Amino acid sequence: MSVALPPGRFTRLVLKVNVFLLIALALGAAFMGLVAYKQGWFVRQSPLHFVTLNALGITKGMPVKLHGFTIGQVSELKLAEAGVDVQLSIVSQYLRRIPQGSYARHAREAGVIGTAVIDIVPGQGTMPLAEGSVIRFEPARGIAEIIDEFRRQAVPAFNEVKQAMSQVGRSGEDLTAILAALRAEVAQLPATHRAVRKLVEEATKTTTELNQQAGATLAATERVAHGVERALPALSEKLTHSIDSIDAAALQLKRTGEEAQATLRSARPLLDHGEVAAREAGDVLSAAKRVWPLSDTFKETTDGMLPIDSFEAQGKGRLR
Amino acid sequence: MSRWLAACVVTLVCGCAAPAVERGSPAQARLAEAEARAVALARSGDYAGAARFYGEALRIATSLENADAIAANAVNLSIVEQWLGRDAQARAALAAVLDEPRAAFSERRKTQAELRRAILEAALGNLGAAEVWAGEAERRCAASCEYAAAIFNVRAQLALDSGRSAEAARLAGAALERARGDAGRPEAANALRTLGRARTAAGDPSRALEPLRQALEIDRALGDPRKILADLTELARAADSAGDAQAARGYKERGLAVSRAINDGRSAAETEVLLRR
Repeated sequence: MSVALPPGRFTRLVLKVNVFLLIALALGAAFMGLVAYKQGWFVRQSPLHFVTLNALGITKGMPVKLHGFTIGQVSELKLAEAGVDVQLSIVSQYLRRIPQGSYARHAREAGVIGTAVIDIVPGQGTMPLAEGSVIRFEPARGIAEIIDEFRRQAVPAFNEVKQAMSQVGRSGEDLTAILAALRAEVAQLPATHRAVRKLVEEATKTTTELNQQAGATLAATERVAHGVERALPALSEKLTHSIDSIDAAALQLKRTGEEAQATLRSARPLLDHGEVAAREAGDVLSAAKRVWPLSDTFKETTDGMLPIDSFEAQGKGRLR
Repeated sequence: MSRWLAACVVTLVCGCAAPAVERGSPAQARLAEAEARAVALARSGDYAGAARFYGEALRIATSLENADAIAANAVNLSIVEQWLGRDAQARAALAAVLDEPRAAFSERRKTQAELRRAILEAALGNLGAAEVWAGEAERRCAASCEYAAAIFNVRAQLALDSGRSAEAARLAGAALERARGDAGRPEAANALRTLGRARTAAGDPSRALEPLRQALEIDRALGDPRKILADLTELARAADSAGDAQAARGYKERGLAVSRAINDGRSAAETEVLLRR
């Protein structure tokens, strides 16, 4: 039996199938491109390496972070002579942000738990790392290591606490004695209170007496002041007399100075005469030295010149 | 008899007569006073004060255009400035004579200034300049010039410092010949010392000892400790070179004692270095 198909149903069927296939292919390619883009296949990557003895916990595709920001991923792990050579693929534009001296460490995003990442700790260098550089790696500490370190640090503290507690235990007996003494002291408090009240009363009485004595002292001071007040005019009069005497002495001194000046003025011609006389005496002596019987005795050896000594040429002249 | 006596007295009085001294102007009196004070200060060892008064005298002499006084005070000032270790000022003082070709200085004063300049340059180690100025002084100085011995001595020292020991010995001999009389004794001692140094430098230290000993004798008589120290140092060096270590040590110790006595730290250090050798 044959079924009659409506006319024109499969017309241009090949064309329709081809169009469908083309669209499906285009969609598949777009999906692939999207995936590749999201995977970073179109971004240029730069490799970095580190070698670790134990690559436990490091997996391919593990993110590599700098300051918590993903800059690449673990791209390859290879067994090498010194352990495992781990290759990191870093987005090339971020490589310049990794200075020389940087190192990688295995970390988790939330401390002990959380996603494991490779954290790049920046170094102190000024130049960025070169492409393909090998950096240092610091493996992550396991729970066992962390506990061990905690134990190492905590044990001495625990020991000290234990020692302190034992001392407190030993001093329990002393504590009983202290409490007994304290109780005895408390029992004596009323007597102490009475003694303090008595002391206050005596202090009040003493203050009153002191006030009375101070009044007497003030009266005596008043009397002294009165005496001084009476003595002052006489003293002032005497001081005036003394100042007058000093004035007179100064006047006398001034007069004496003027007289001395006048004497000196009158003596000046005498001094001039003396100088002239001395000069003339010098002339007479000079003339006498040149006169025949004495001239040989007083013959001048130099003409006032200092010796011109060739010894000075040795540079020792200044050491005279 | 009395007539004869009177005649004798008159003759004696006439013979004793001398021309009156000209008093001069106040400026001339100040010049004479400054010069006298400078000489007195230099003799007492106050060289700074002496330099001040020589400078003042030079200024007054220049104002009076007194060429002889200018030259004398300039030379004296240069000597005192060198004693004070102020070599630049010492050289500048001589410029008043050497840089004034038009001034009517006597040949004697020019010779003095040139000799002083040669001495200064030699002391500063400017051997070429010293040779030139010593040559000028020698050219101006006649054979019997009073500074001939000093000029020869300066030239001998320059030759010795230039490594020409034979010429130094010849020039020292010439200086010794011209240094005669009491006035020439210092230069004679200088000549003998230079002769000894030249012989030591020429590798003949045993023949250097005798002139050095003579120089030491003269310098001790003149009483100049600087020269006594120089003689003892040279004697120690010559005795050491001659192989007489004991004598050398004796001279060194004497030199050290003199050096310490005159408080000459530099020479004491030099002598101590010699003693340790």
